[in-house]
Amino acid sequence: MRLLAHKEKTNSCESKSAPSRCGRIRRRLLDCANHRLGPDAPWVQRHVASCPRCQKRLAALTKVNLALSAIKSQPHQLDLLMRANSAAVKMLSHALRREAQDRRLEEARPEPCLMERCLGRRYAIANVAACLAILFLTKAGIFSSLDKARAQGQEVMKNYYTSQVGEDLAREVFEP
Amino acid sequence: MFGKAVSYDLIWDSAACEGVHESQRWIVVAMQKYGHELVTMLWRILGNEQDVCDAYQTVFLHLAHLEDGQRPRWVKAYLFRTASNTAVSMLRQRLVERKSLSGMLQAGEELHAVDRDFDTRHLAESLRRHVAQLPDHLRNVIMLRDLGELSYREVARIMGISSGTARVYRCKAVQLLAIWMNKEEDK
Repeated sequence: MRLLAHKEKTNSCESKSAPSRCGRIRRRLLDCANHRLGPDAPWVQRHVASCPRCQKRLAALTKVNLALSAIKSQPHQLDLLMRANSAAVKMLSHALRREAQDRRLEEARPEPCLMERCLGRRYAIANVAACLAILFLTKAGIFSSLDKARAQGQEVMKNYYTSQVGEDLAREVFEP
Repeated sequence: MFGKAVSYDLIWDSAACEGVHESQRWIVVAMQKYGHELVTMLWRILGNEQDVCDAYQTVFLHLAHLEDGQRPRWVKAYLFRTASNTAVSMLRQRLVERKSLSGMLQAGEELHAVDRDFDTRHLAESLRRHVAQLPDHLRNVIMLRDLGELSYREVARIMGISSGTARVYRCKAVQLLAIWMNKEEDK
């Protein structure tokens, strides 16, 4: 019975008051940590009083916080939000109007230049160029020269084999 | 809290809203919902009312012209990220312009050097200038947390990081700003 009561108490604590209690404890811990370890802690103050480097650093940090506070406390004109809103709403409707008018522009495609148009037929052009190159090479006698070079190479190889393994074997290898 | 900033309730001009297309009505609703916080954040980042209006327009135009007119999954996150990015771009542009005029301003600055420490406007401007130079992740945290006054949880969600990381980033940002402002003072 006692255990049950304790359990009920624990459960109710976890379900309802736990977040607020946790929050309170966390806040207390944070305050405690700030008090003991923060810039206001006595031992920090004692050190800062005797350390010029830390004094400088602390002053710089304070300056940043001061600047942030200064930025936050600067007031703006009362009607700034209204002006910003009305300008933005006008711009929205304006943008919409322009969008409707200029839809044709959105659909329009840029005219390709001669170079870009040729790119579309690049495979056909490449084939024609290859054929022309083959024709030119045939005309120039490149292929017959290649045949000659191959025949000469075979001759050299046949001579080598003749000298190394004998004329009969070389004839068998190189003459069909 | 936005209590420090001067608040002004928006008077929704029905004529202005009627001009907005049906498909864009949700943008007006978002404007109504987050407009005040956005304007306050932009004001704090930019410190110039005309720039605030321009940045505000840009933010909502971005929202209206999102891919295929789609609505972002988390409108608030989209608005705050776009706003901070737009504001930083404007701030950087202003810095570049100021640099080009630095030669002319130098003489004037020397005259007021004595009063600098007590001049909050100068302090705020200096901070803005340095915030614009922070690395992206640190700058976003400082802007959203300190100038946008979002909770660490929201900042973390917007940036896709954990709350702890957001706290660490803020701490680093403040340290970096302190070093830079100190250096500037030494100069």
